[in-house]
Amino acid sequence: MRKAKLLAAAAVLTVTSGCNAVGESTDLGVYQLVRARDTKVGNGSMYVTPPRPWNRQRRLFFDSVRWVEDWTLNGPYLDGITFVSGLPNSEFLVRQRRTEDRQVPKFRSNMTAPEIAAMLESAYRVRGGAIEFSTLGLTPRTFMGYPGFQFDYEHLDGDELWRKGRGVGAVIDGRLYLILYDAAKSHYYGNAIQDFEVITNSARLRR
Amino acid sequence: MCMRCFELSRRSMLIGGGVLASSLATGVAQARIRPAEMVPLIGPAFRPTDTDEKGLWSQMDRVEEEVAGSNLLIKDPALVSYLQDIIGRVGGPAARDMRIYLAHVPDFNAMMFPSGFAVVFSGLLLRMRNEAQLAGVVAHESGHFLRRHMIRSWRDMKRKSDIFAIGAMAAGLGGAGAGVYLGDYVQLAQLGTIMSLFQYSRAMEAEADAMGAKLIAEAGYPPIEMANVWQQLIGEDANSARYRRKQRRRGSLFDTHPSPDSRMADLRISAAEVTVPGRAYDSGRARYLSKIAPIRQMLLDDQVKLNDPGASAYLLETLAADGWNGLLRYYEGEVWRLRNRVGDDARAAQSYAVAVAYPDAPPEAWRSHGLALLREGRGGEAKSALARYLQMKPAAPDAPFIRQMIG
Repeated sequence: MRKAKLLAAAAVLTVTSGCNAVGESTDLGVYQLVRARDTKVGNGSMYVTPPRPWNRQRRLFFDSVRWVEDWTLNGPYLDGITFVSGLPNSEFLVRQRRTEDRQVPKFRSNMTAPEIAAMLESAYRVRGGAIEFSTLGLTPRTFMGYPGFQFDYEHLDGDELWRKGRGVGAVIDGRLYLILYDAAKSHYYGNAIQDFEVITNSARLRR
Repeated sequence: MCMRCFELSRRSMLIGGGVLASSLATGVAQARIRPAEMVPLIGPAFRPTDTDEKGLWSQMDRVEEEVAGSNLLIKDPALVSYLQDIIGRVGGPAARDMRIYLAHVPDFNAMMFPSGFAVVFSGLLLRMRNEAQLAGVVAHESGHFLRRHMIRSWRDMKRKSDIFAIGAMAAGLGGAGAGVYLGDYVQLAQLGTIMSLFQYSRAMEAEADAMGAKLIAEAGYPPIEMANVWQQLIGEDANSARYRRKQRRRGSLFDTHPSPDSRMADLRISAAEVTVPGRAYDSGRARYLSKIAPIRQMLLDDQVKLNDPGASAYLLETLAADGWNGLLRYYEGEVWRLRNRVGDDARAAQSYAVAVAYPDAPPEAWRSHGLALLREGRGGEAKSALARYLQMKPAAPDAPFIRQMIG
């Protein structure tokens, strides 16, 4: 999801300013500081408390959907957290054209965890450019007090970098709530996995 | 150069900034080239002697170094040596000089670089029904090298325009380093930026087809298989487009390849021409299937999980023309499940149910069958199907979750 947005960002930046990569010479207001305190994410129906400041990626890209929000610590090529705050039935994780050959599958309320995991895998393959993807684990885990799952995986992307990720989520009242951490496997994954755990355990629904 | 350059160049154009547009307008109708007229223009151990070609080769040596070191390559020694054997059989006089690399990219493509190394995408291996088809693609690529198409088009291009300096090639490669990440498989295909500088004319593509037909016939493969490959490619493209309600890309003024249909027709005539009556041709199907068996499920995974149902369904049907089995039925179910339209749940469930009736059904077929039964409210049967999955694959990464589902 994030990388697909990067495509857009990179294209825009290359055209307008000729700079090399997102956030290198200028961030053009792409990032906003997230402080280490109660923060609402996505469409505001989920709250988390990060243990240290992170950067929120502004949703100025054409493929953002309102339930999805991205954060990063060291830049989206290296690490990032994606929040999905109650994706409804029949919606997609990304905005995509109906005529696109390859599509991120639709979310359905009646999906089981293995099917949600498969949907995420396809998202990484279709939009993230993953050419190898392996599931490391799919285990039951309570999320925001509801029975959910923990999905661990790693993938080799078209830029030849291995990345590793963990997603924790649950379907609550037919909507998908999910927090997804994805980072370069060497160094970066280990660097912020504890942040992810703290954030995930702090997650709660808006009352 | 490549079987699907039109696709590759379309993507590369995004990176290359469209500077190549001027090279594309070569839409002249081309008469079929007779295989008999195709003689190799180089001999064994060819090395360039002209300054410009030497320069090109030294650039290409650097590209090859990059490619050889890429971790997108599938390095399975048995597979690589199999591909090398094939290029050895259909490579004509350069058979011993050419190198071949297998890249893990789920697209249908293969390309020959000017210094005689070829890159084959893994998606191509999935689509070939037998060794003859693979040999046909490799022979087509060899044809470009044997007919010296790269240097010919390179010179032609330089004559037409000055902007095609060697520096432009480096810029194309540099795209990767500069962080222009396309969220696609183009990182390796970015080499296509370079390759698109060598846009072959339709005449050159026709030459490579004719040369390829001749080479595979001489090696004892049925030459008609080259036309069959092309027919499969056209069918897949058309089906993918139809699913998304688009027009199939047709050969146009801006497509350097001959139009797919006329190209296929030419290949059929050429095949008939080089077929020697009474000679036995072997498509090598059994050998091919046994060679790719270790990666076949991975190849199917790579394709089906891209959720391009038109292309995937067509592909499965093509492969199943030689017989359905549990693996193919399982992936048929996956195609419907990922497509996720009204009624697809039932379609998928049916495919899984059929898949598990075959002895070669992969463990995942039992899992999907179980989940489908669960959805239908058939809890008891679902549990036994899921239990079967766990029994076949006790260390499956999702076993803890499935165990919880069984309760």
